[in-house]
Amino acid sequence: MIHEVLARPVPGGAAAAGGALAIRDLHKSFTIGGAPRTVLEGINLDIRPGEFVSIVGASGCGKSTLLRLIVGLDDDYRGEIRLDGERVSTTSLDRGIVFQDHRLFPWMTLAQNIELALRNTDVPAARRAQIVAEHIALVNLTGFEQAYPHQLSGGMAQRAAIARALVTEPKLLLLDEPLGALDALTRVRVQTELQRIWMAQRSTMLMVTHDVEEALYLGDRVVVMAPEPGRIRRIVEVDLPHPRDRAALLHRLKDEILAELTAAPGGPSNLVHLPGREAR
Amino acid sequence: MASTALRAPAAPAPRRQSPLASLLAPVVLLALWQLLCLSGVFPPQVLVPPSEVGRTLSQLAETGELQRHVGESMARLALGFTIGALAGLAFGAAIALSRLAEAALAPFFFAVWQVPVIAFVPMLVIFLGIDEQFKVAIVVLAAFFPVALAAFDGVRGVPGAWLEVARVYRTRLPDLVLRILVPATLPAVVTGLRVALTRAWVVLIAAELLAADSGIGQMMEMGRQMFRIDVVLAGVVVSGVIGFLLDRGAKAVERRASRWRTA
Repeated sequence: MIHEVLARPVPGGAAAAGGALAIRDLHKSFTIGGAPRTVLEGINLDIRPGEFVSIVGASGCGKSTLLRLIVGLDDDYRGEIRLDGERVSTTSLDRGIVFQDHRLFPWMTLAQNIELALRNTDVPAARRAQIVAEHIALVNLTGFEQAYPHQLSGGMAQRAAIARALVTEPKLLLLDEPLGALDALTRVRVQTELQRIWMAQRSTMLMVTHDVEEALYLGDRVVVMAPEPGRIRRIVEVDLPHPRDRAALLHRLKDEILAELTAAPGGPSNLVHLPGREAR
Repeated sequence: MASTALRAPAAPAPRRQSPLASLLAPVVLLALWQLLCLSGVFPPQVLVPPSEVGRTLSQLAETGELQRHVGESMARLALGFTIGALAGLAFGAAIALSRLAEAALAPFFFAVWQVPVIAFVPMLVIFLGIDEQFKVAIVVLAAFFPVALAAFDGVRGVPGAWLEVARVYRTRLPDLVLRILVPATLPAVVTGLRVALTRAWVVLIAAELLAADSGIGQMMEMGRQMFRIDVVLAGVVVSGVIGFLLDRGAKAVERRASRWRTA
């Protein structure tokens, strides 16, 4: 497995120069029905270059909002988000994102969809076709260059979306439940693919998911978030080498995190991890 | 065995009926019409038999009169539709893209849209007379509103998710317009164009009936004044066939434009 990965031509080579994400005292609120509502509160997170970090949490804990802030689609926040020291205020080709729905344009072929991402880069036009082909190969879709999105299966479309996100060689790739809409078998396959791609690419990746096993399988660390307001509850180190198999080693951690996610708010296990709330 | 052999060639277009089936209704109608004429209930000057209408049509075509009228009407339609559709596109896109333009213009636009285009005829005749400008103007009006509305809906209907993709890849404005906004709005706009085209044709014939010196409508009006009901009916047939063909042609274009949507 590892030899296969290394033997493969790597698009962009070692892109891992940079890609350190630092989040400090991040606070975000929306106004809903005239009243402000806090969605994210006191988020502090440091991600090393080339690291794969998973975020899990119940729905409504603001994990997708967090990714939108990091990618720069929303700049209305307090606190700081810095990528390699530079404050995030808008979108940038340094930060890519894969959404839960693939968001490929239905009137473009797979190759045209991926090429669109390169349009505002200084990559010479002659090189673009080659780079697109390399990334289609990276996600194992060679032969489908001229296919339209409706001709691809869900898993293929999502892999195409991953290729589009990687084609600009972002230092940081954000994945917003990218496999959430896939069936269980396809999901496992694309997880394996994603691990291979990450090992080949070595860019920093931050993935939101609600699947604890997926988070553990891929992540060097798993950030567990709690809802209302969204905050980080615990960060679990997954000290296992990549590529991983889905063996028993992950099970203990999985049970631990599931216990964390399903614990009643304010229950005793909560107090253990959040000493700040013991005063209540 | 026999049934599968029969069904196999039809497989590529399973639900399409033979084109002969669509001819059934007109043929039956023509037959009833002819029979009613032969029965002698109405005088032949009032209810002209279809055979007579056919003869009149071929006579009109021989003298070149029919071609001249059809040509005049089509030229007005082409000019008026082009102006009206372009103006409608620009207007619809503008009120969809600019909140200010929408606030200022949209309520007025939707109010005026409720007025039947024919109701503008008296005013237009006063201002423009009954010459070319009047007929082109009425076509412009008839085409403008459906296209403007379709452009507005089309642009507003572009999913925010696609615009976010463009933001993430920092797509430049020309690429955003040509590669994303235009293809995304095309199906709605083409539907609007089709509706506008058939409406414009109907309104043009009506306007020509009221005031014109040439065109299919005028040919019918002259026929009425000279009690040539055969000429009037010939005009009905010709305008109907042209309207039908315009709609069919526009539908073919529409299908091509929205291929990605139905696929």
